[in-house]
Amino acid sequence: MATLTDSRKRELRRELETLVGPGAVLSDPDELLVYESDGLTLFRALADFVVFPTSAEHVSAIVKLAHRERLPFVARGAGTGLSGGCLPAEGGVVISLMRMNRVLEVDYANQIAVVEPGLVNLHLSWNVGPRGYYYAPDPSSQQACTIGGNIANNSGGPHTLKYGVTTNHVLGLQVVMPDGEIVWLGDRTRDAQGYDLAGVFVGSEGTFGIATQIVVRILKKPQAVKTVLAVFDQIDSASAAVSAVIARGLVPAAMEMIDHLTIQAVEDAFNCGYPRDADAALLIELDGLAVGMEAQAERIVEACRDAGARETRTAKSEAERQLLWKGRKSAFGAYGRVSPAYMVMDGVIPRTKLPYVLSRVNEIVAAHGLRVGNVFHAGDGNLHPNILYDPRKPGEEERVVAAGAEIMKVCAAVGGSISGEHGIGLEKADFMPFIFSAADLSLMQRLKSAFNPTGLCNPGKIFPTKKSCVEVGPVAYRPHAIEEKGLAQRF
Amino acid sequence: MPDALREKLSAAVGPANVLTGIELSPYVVEGRTPEAAVFPGSIDEVAAVVGLAAEAGVPVTPWGGGAAASVGTPAARAGLVLGLRRMSRLLEHEPGDLTATVEAGITIGAFQTALRSRGQWMSLDPADAERATVGGVLATNASGPRRHLYGTARDLLIGVTVVTADGAVVRGGGKVVKNVAGYDLPKLFVGSYGTLGVIVEATVKLRPLPDHEQLQAVPFERLKDTGVAVKAMMGSDLIPSAIELLDAAAASSAGLAGDAPPGGALLVVGFDGPREQVEWQCAELARLIAPLGGRQARPLEAEAWPRLAAAASTALPATAAVMTFSVLPSLVAETMDQGAGIARARGLHTAWAAHAGVGAVRAALASDAAPHEPDAIVTVLGEWREMARAGGGHATLEWAPLAVKSRVPVWDDPGAAGRVMQRIKAQLDPGNILNPGRFIAGI
Repeated sequence: MATLTDSRKRELRRELETLVGPGAVLSDPDELLVYESDGLTLFRALADFVVFPTSAEHVSAIVKLAHRERLPFVARGAGTGLSGGCLPAEGGVVISLMRMNRVLEVDYANQIAVVEPGLVNLHLSWNVGPRGYYYAPDPSSQQACTIGGNIANNSGGPHTLKYGVTTNHVLGLQVVMPDGEIVWLGDRTRDAQGYDLAGVFVGSEGTFGIATQIVVRILKKPQAVKTVLAVFDQIDSASAAVSAVIARGLVPAAMEMIDHLTIQAVEDAFNCGYPRDADAALLIELDGLAVGMEAQAERIVEACRDAGARETRTAKSEAERQLLWKGRKSAFGAYGRVSPAYMVMDGVIPRTKLPYVLSRVNEIVAAHGLRVGNVFHAGDGNLHPNILYDPRKPGEEERVVAAGAEIMKVCAAVGGSISGEHGIGLEKADFMPFIFSAADLSLMQRLKSAFNPTGLCNPGKIFPTKKSCVEVGPVAYRPHAIEEKGLAQRF
Repeated sequence: MPDALREKLSAAVGPANVLTGIELSPYVVEGRTPEAAVFPGSIDEVAAVVGLAAEAGVPVTPWGGGAAASVGTPAARAGLVLGLRRMSRLLEHEPGDLTATVEAGITIGAFQTALRSRGQWMSLDPADAERATVGGVLATNASGPRRHLYGTARDLLIGVTVVTADGAVVRGGGKVVKNVAGYDLPKLFVGSYGTLGVIVEATVKLRPLPDHEQLQAVPFERLKDTGVAVKAMMGSDLIPSAIELLDAAAASSAGLAGDAPPGGALLVVGFDGPREQVEWQCAELARLIAPLGGRQARPLEAEAWPRLAAAASTALPATAAVMTFSVLPSLVAETMDQGAGIARARGLHTAWAAHAGVGAVRAALASDAAPHEPDAIVTVLGEWREMARAGGGHATLEWAPLAVKSRVPVWDDPGAAGRVMQRIKAQLDPGNILNPGRFIAGI
């Protein structure tokens, strides 16, 4: 970690203030505390400075200063990430993009928008909504998370089953490279020239540079939407129904699983009308043309019934639809009713392996003397086991971490991945060898060197090579500030 | 090629799989004959061949079906052709997962046939499906009309295995449809023209075959009226799978000569899905287009689909150059109209076809004069490129004889991003043995 003397710190603070203005630099430890973690509060690390630029030129100037001083730096959006990806793991400068939050341009004829990285995801849909458009990637933190953060993590969401993840909606980016140069990767047209640098940049977890403008696609809102809740007495039947729907040639917009424990928690908290005695429920949404939608919904209902659903309900109104979704989207908050704390896992498996993997998850968690609630993107095979625990009980947190690692190994063993949308960050850097060989990681390192040769841009992330000096281990759980305000949930 | 290298290659893949001398004629590109063509039968053999070539400093050209062999700046030295034709198996297809893994040498046609038998398809429809291979299509980022709805290779490729320049076998991505572990290596290799590694296996997302599919052709008296029509369609509730815009010459080459009025254009729109949705959309299209200058729409037979992808390139009897453009969708009709005018002013003929909804335009250029006199062609290509740039897009010289390529760069100037690309190339292929000099920014 870089260590700065107090006097040097004061000098650098003054210099940063001349670059971005006096109200745009924090260096007081009390103020820095807010930025010591993201949504994964298990990891904490303090920066020397937090800086709030308002332009690409600002970002470039800050990066050049950091480069000159050999100070590590990391970009930060809303801090809703769940893998410690935006932590200043090795000290240095946090570059907060929260003051760069404008929609710069909307070109409806070409269905693109140019936005700044600090724009809140949902605010883009609000902006273009009145003209009948929306931005498709919908991470459940979309009320708080930023498009820039979505770029870093290649964020998904429930509707990515049909519409794809962030990378499928990004055409080009203006990027401040780790040496401070401002470069466009991709442009406003659909076919990039040369290597797909925009595609490579998305999902690079802030290690390739800092996006300062983003060209995204906006989509026409679907003509019609239909939402079905299928209720099962056996979670295995629900898992089988997921593959059965796909096998019948149907691709819903979303297909989400909610298990028994989660249903209990949700009903305790919000009374959404999920049957409490069900072992699992599938929330399935269709969207598209109004004509023919009824028939498609019937085919889905049939597939669920044939797989063993005891009951299916179709939302009769937008209010009913919202209530069904509320159960799904509020599930994480609802765990507070049944447990003092929980840790959300993120893994992906081929969807046909769902029954096997879910039973293994339950076995693993039980073997560690813990409970688990499952609420996840079943259509994508993207699991989110939430392990419930009590951080005040000595040893429980370590058992959660151990169970999490075992679950990741199961995902890897069935041909899956150790992250579907939360990223590797600090949390899973040591799990990378579960799915990647030394040769795979070496190529990724060389790719990183092409963008970030000094390694100063978000060091300590993704790669399992070295231990970073972060506080890890048995720290008491506490919700992140924005979670307490009810602005974000863990999906 | 040194005898020692040939012997080592023979030992690595078997003597029957190393071609030299007269047997190399199918692999001659632009008059250049490779030193040998080698056909490994496994990933390990590919790694061995690349390793041997790297050691000897002989350039390697990965080769699928050869469908795009002449795209790019000609290499200074032809080197070794590394053919993937022996690696053409479908390795895994699990319909419930909507994914499949193949060896790179399988043709698009063979892959689609196997998938169709189980009710699925890979939603990518490049031209020349019986020849083009999955590896080649990925490496060149080829696509077809249905990209309008289903996207391109970058949207479908979820896992890739490559042999890198040092002979290492590297896997990126995985076999699951959603995955953010590590850098997105599949994106890096899509469209990299074999300059970063040899793609040997690929895992792609699949889709269920649609119940029903229908093409509608709408003739327009004037090309420029189609811009408004496409815009209206894009802003409507319609969900077309393809929006193709052809000028009269391209329409004729697609077997639709009677449909496009002379000097006019043909808009060909595809719909898929349940029958009632397709029928509703066909009716809605007719209603929408009628007041915008479109004549009565006519349904086309399914056989018209594969002819659309190559409509422009095959339209003229003696094509002198083919250029592709990536422009804003709103500028497609204007690009075609203006581009044709630029060529006409120099006494040249053109044929134009576009995936109009995504701004991908292809133009063929031909002259009556002797093709040995490329001045007018060079001038027109230069002006076309300026036209694309002025609208925020760019142009690639997809095909031209060497005499033209030596005067018009194949690839447009990528600006500052070119330096990032050069650094990536230097990191991954420091010896510069994979397709050296063929690609953008001197890569």
